[in-house]
Amino acid sequence: MREREHENLVGLFQRFLEEPAARAAHEDIEAGERWLAACPAPLPDARVVAAIKAQTAALARRRHRTAQWGRAAVATAAAIVLAWVGLFGPRSADRPGISYAAILPAAIWESDDLAADDLDIVYFTAEIRHLEATLRAVDAGEIGLGGGLRDELENELMAIEAEFWKG
Amino acid sequence: MYAGRCYGYFYRLTGDRDLSDELLSELFIRLVEKIKSYKGGAFESWLFKIASNIFHDYLRGKQRRKKLLDARRVQLELEPDLNEIRFSDEGEDRLDKLQVHLSRLDADTRELILLRFYSELSFKEIAELRSEPLGTALSKLHRGLKKLRELMEG
Repeated sequence: MREREHENLVGLFQRFLEEPAARAAHEDIEAGERWLAACPAPLPDARVVAAIKAQTAALARRRHRTAQWGRAAVATAAAIVLAWVGLFGPRSADRPGISYAAILPAAIWESDDLAADDLDIVYFTAEIRHLEATLRAVDAGEIGLGGGLRDELENELMAIEAEFWKG
Repeated sequence: MYAGRCYGYFYRLTGDRDLSDELLSELFIRLVEKIKSYKGGAFESWLFKIASNIFHDYLRGKQRRKKLLDARRVQLELEPDLNEIRFSDEGEDRLDKLQVHLSRLDADTRELILLRFYSELSFKEIAELRSEPLGTALSKLHRGLKKLRELMEG
């Protein structure tokens, strides 16, 4: 609710003036404002308003994008810092009583040979390599197999790869 | 809705349509930039506070330009061949009767009258916006509008 709609001007003036003077002041104000209302200012040109709208919309979009990039940058920076702390920061063993949460499995960071660190990865990698070798041999004619076998091998390879990326 | 009121405020303060366009544009850009500083309450109060600041920024810039122009004028007066350049007040808009009489009021009272009229804020809100006592705002506005009424009716 707008405050002005409930404003009692005579009452306000009566805080400072006697009642007749307060009423006269109120009348002066109303009369002055009637003149202002009787001589309206021109309205802004529609093209100007459209240009302002376009300008402010573009600015708002730019600010929104900047905010998104800002949040992404902060999240990335936080992940890097946390990973850095996880990798090179003090270990719980170095500082008894303080433990650090593992963000990523330590094995991934501690070895260049990912497959060696996870039995599932070892299994899938071996399967994929075996199937790829079989396919190459079929293509080269080294292995003579029935017509449907190639498709079967390819399907199996795709299934294993899909399973691999599911984690 | 707000654009018309803000434009009217700028136009009655400056009497110049092009300048009012610029100030209106500046106002809306600043609104987008400062939208996070709006803490609720009367939107008009926040809006016209920014509008008033923009007008004062413009006046300060104008003062600086005037000083530069004055310095240049002195320089040109010393150069007889170049003294045909005329320095005129900006604003070619036809000034209506109200605009003429408004310009006879002192700048602070004129701004107060226009702030009250276009912002549609209460006296209490206007006094807060201008950081002055309620009695001062009431008294200035009364004197200003009384004078305007006399000029318009005289």
